[in-house]
Amino acid sequence: MLLVAGIAQEEGSSPLFFFLMSLSPSIGSPYTLLREMKSDERGMWLFGFLTACARCVAAGSLDSASSGLEQISLLASPDGDIVQRIVAYFTEALADRVLKGWRPGLHKALNSTKLTCAAEIILAQKLFFEYCPFLRLSYVITNQAILETMEGEKVVHIIDLHCFEPAQWINLLEELKARQEGPPHLRITGIHEQKEVLDQMAVRLQEAAEKLDIPFQFCPMVSKLENLDIESLRVKSGEAVAISSVLQLHSLLAYDDDTMRRNSPSVPNNSSSVHLPGVLHMNPRTLGDFLERDVMSLYGASPDSQSSPPPKTLSFLNALWGLSPKLMVVTEHESNHNCHGLMERVDEALKFYAALFDCLENTLPRAPVERQKIEKFLFGEEIKSIIACEGLERKARHEKLDKWIPRLEFAGFGKINLSYNGMKQAMRVLQSCNYDGFKIKEESGYFIICWHDYPLFSVSAWGFKRY
Amino acid sequence: MMSDEGLASSLRGFIQDPNPNLPNPNPNNSNPNPNSNAAKRKRNLPGTPADPDAEVVALSPKSLMATNRFLCEICNKGFQRDQNLQLHRRGHNLPWKLKQRTNKEVKKKVYICPEKTCVHHDPSRALGDLTGIKKHFSRKHGEKKWKCEKCSKKYAVQSDWKAHGKICGTREYKCDCGTLFSRKDSFITHRAFCDALAEESARFAPIPSANLNFRNELFNGGLSSLQPAGNPQFSSSIAGLDPATGQLNLNGQKPRLPLWLDNANTQLNNPIGNHPGNSNAFLASSSTSLPELVQMTPTNMLGLSSQNQWFNSGGNASSSGLPRVLKEEEENRGNLSDHISSLYYNNGQNSSQHETAPAHMSATALLQKAAQMGSTRSNSAIFGTGFGLMSSSLSSLSNFNSLNQSRNELQNFGQAENLNGLMTSTSQSTITTNQGDGLLLGNMSSSNNLVGNLRHPSAPPTIMPGSTDRGGSQSKSSGNEAEGGLTRDFLGVGGNESRPFLQQNELVKFASSMSSAMDFGNQ
Repeated sequence: MLLVAGIAQEEGSSPLFFFLMSLSPSIGSPYTLLREMKSDERGMWLFGFLTACARCVAAGSLDSASSGLEQISLLASPDGDIVQRIVAYFTEALADRVLKGWRPGLHKALNSTKLTCAAEIILAQKLFFEYCPFLRLSYVITNQAILETMEGEKVVHIIDLHCFEPAQWINLLEELKARQEGPPHLRITGIHEQKEVLDQMAVRLQEAAEKLDIPFQFCPMVSKLENLDIESLRVKSGEAVAISSVLQLHSLLAYDDDTMRRNSPSVPNNSSSVHLPGVLHMNPRTLGDFLERDVMSLYGASPDSQSSPPPKTLSFLNALWGLSPKLMVVTEHESNHNCHGLMERVDEALKFYAALFDCLENTLPRAPVERQKIEKFLFGEEIKSIIACEGLERKARHEKLDKWIPRLEFAGFGKINLSYNGMKQAMRVLQSCNYDGFKIKEESGYFIICWHDYPLFSVSAWGFKRY
Repeated sequence: MMSDEGLASSLRGFIQDPNPNLPNPNPNNSNPNPNSNAAKRKRNLPGTPADPDAEVVALSPKSLMATNRFLCEICNKGFQRDQNLQLHRRGHNLPWKLKQRTNKEVKKKVYICPEKTCVHHDPSRALGDLTGIKKHFSRKHGEKKWKCEKCSKKYAVQSDWKAHGKICGTREYKCDCGTLFSRKDSFITHRAFCDALAEESARFAPIPSANLNFRNELFNGGLSSLQPAGNPQFSSSIAGLDPATGQLNLNGQKPRLPLWLDNANTQLNNPIGNHPGNSNAFLASSSTSLPELVQMTPTNMLGLSSQNQWFNSGGNASSSGLPRVLKEEEENRGNLSDHISSLYYNNGQNSSQHETAPAHMSATALLQKAAQMGSTRSNSAIFGTGFGLMSSSLSSLSNFNSLNQSRNELQNFGQAENLNGLMTSTSQSTITTNQGDGLLLGNMSSSNNLVGNLRHPSAPPTIMPGSTDRGGSQSKSSGNEAEGGLTRDFLGVGGNESRPFLQQNELVKFASSMSSAMDFGNQ
């Protein structure tokens, strides 16, 4: 081929190149070449290629995107090395997106027998708790904050927005038992979508409480978070309420986005997750004044949508605020996966999940099956949600803490600085379980859990502010 | 005359222990400085109090460490100074007398250390300050009673301990190997060595020797202050050293460090041998003392930090001759390490993190590297053309480095002309990266007369990035439209719809270009 010859002239010297010339007729060779490349180089190539594919998808050039995705899929695999795995999940998500946009009918048909494998997801979450320290750290920090805030309280009511791991509260029970003035009467309301999970929680917690001889009551609440009826939580007056929200609040943002889209389809959605500076530290007393105008734009809704319900997140947070919680500890992903543009999301998600995959590979080198489960059913699902879904379907709307802060403040919560004791407890977890490479940074009262300086999760504490 | 019991005893405390070096003190002399005879003979060295008439006071260890030598007989309260005691006696209605300041000029007093093995025991090396000699005595010959909470470092003098406590843990430099430093210079020095060793262990054997040669040259340059005119000697001495690396392997350390130290040795020794004019007295003395220090370095290789301590302790050495030499060395080391760092760090190192080349880089590092290498820019030319554009691979092959450097310039249309024709394809791709417009991507299929295509009227600034996501049909149609309109493949054959993203041949070429480019970049 002329082109080939032309390049050969230009290039001139590489013997490898001439070798490749001779191989070019056969189909398998380019990929064997790539497979034989050193894994680092291949990894870089894969990342670059993936980004280029994503760009095609974002730009709508679906033809090129689909052939590009085909090329990658020959090289990426959930069983390969770390980059191959990451790229595999991203490729699948991108392909899902392409198919949805291009041939929606086909996409629907393809998923006609898809069962939501809740059991696998729950198992993956448990494995994630087991093998990665993030949830553990969040739990000990939460519990320490609870201990400190609830000093002197006789009746404590804890609302857990996603109650699936008994160890979290068993730890608290033990800490409460060791309290100087003795344990309070403890009531835990656990919210989860699956009844079985809550049943198991009840059994484990009751058992632990009996052993420790703490007056304890567990109230299961089978409900999706967005449908939660605050009244049904039956918070009694005089109880000291603490709320634990671990990686839950972001799913509500999907509703905000959806509401906003429905109200104003023509408005460019660039401002969906941007907070306006003027609205930041707002006094809820003036909620009524500003609600119609600025606040709605805080949540991305257009000003004239007076008839529509208020944004979901805000109303949820307001409802929580209405319980006058003494403490609310919020753990969220520290990454912006809720950008409007696909490329931004892909870039951010790549960085974030590369770090997470790295971290997982480091802590789980010898358990590939478990690691794959976590990767597929936890991270993979999140990646798919971030990339392939839009609107209500896109639940994985992670946002950095600095975007959550104005929302929480607007809903009436005041920041509570996380104490050094919380940090100490967290460090103890890391040291005792020999987790290497994790760091916890403290920034103006918030904790950021990092993997080798890359921030992954944020933990912040809030309290009901009375005006 | 103040001959009270308490006073006499306290005075006796000030009386020097018998010292053969000094003439007979006068125990009965009320003057607390009984050795006024001695100093007048000796001249002080430069750097010490220049007053030849200074009285040399030799205090016994007991009196040196004494606090509260003056006791009140009524209440047994101790005072460090007689004056204070007198004032206190007033309170008891006891007869008191404050000594007047002497009319004649106050004689400057210098103090010597009672410890015989100490350098400061010699009157010519006396210290000028009583507090100073007290502190010196405690530091060097005393027991370290004060301990830092954080780092368990011990101090004999409370003020030292306090001062350390203020800085302990406040400002810390941490090397990648995990060693902590409180001083910037020691950190820099260590890091130079630390990286050097890490690199050495990660790469092949030839490279360290190459680096050593570099370092030698740099060392020449760096130490020019020590030896202004000695370069020829240097190169010869160092050339002589290379094969002798094995010999100079002190205490089983890896060759690098001893080579450095031996450079220091030889360089310091050379001036003395070859440049008598240059040799100061202190250089001469230091050449003898340096070997001692060299041998002080610990045996283990991981004692980079301990070597650093050597530097530090050298800095703190009480012997006055050494610190000067070492300070110069440290400065030069600073220069040296800067040179070394710039050698070991490839230029264009954006991230502050030093990426050694482990067997497998982490995914995060690979991602960063892919992004750095222009995956959002040049690689999109490589990968994102998808329409059989050969020129992009050409440009990537031949212009890889220049591409890296001119990455930021590729933002604008207008600057496309600055680049050669081969680069225009990549410039097009860079434009697409930021805007994510499929239409411009469609442009990438165009052929060599690219500049013309850049200004194609349907190059669409109007398509918003946000809208591409919504309802694929809208943008898709426009994208396809643009593609159809602008698509020209390399050979001028129109119609790009059926082209696969990357033909297999192209894939081959891109792969080879990647690998060659990577080698290129890695060099």
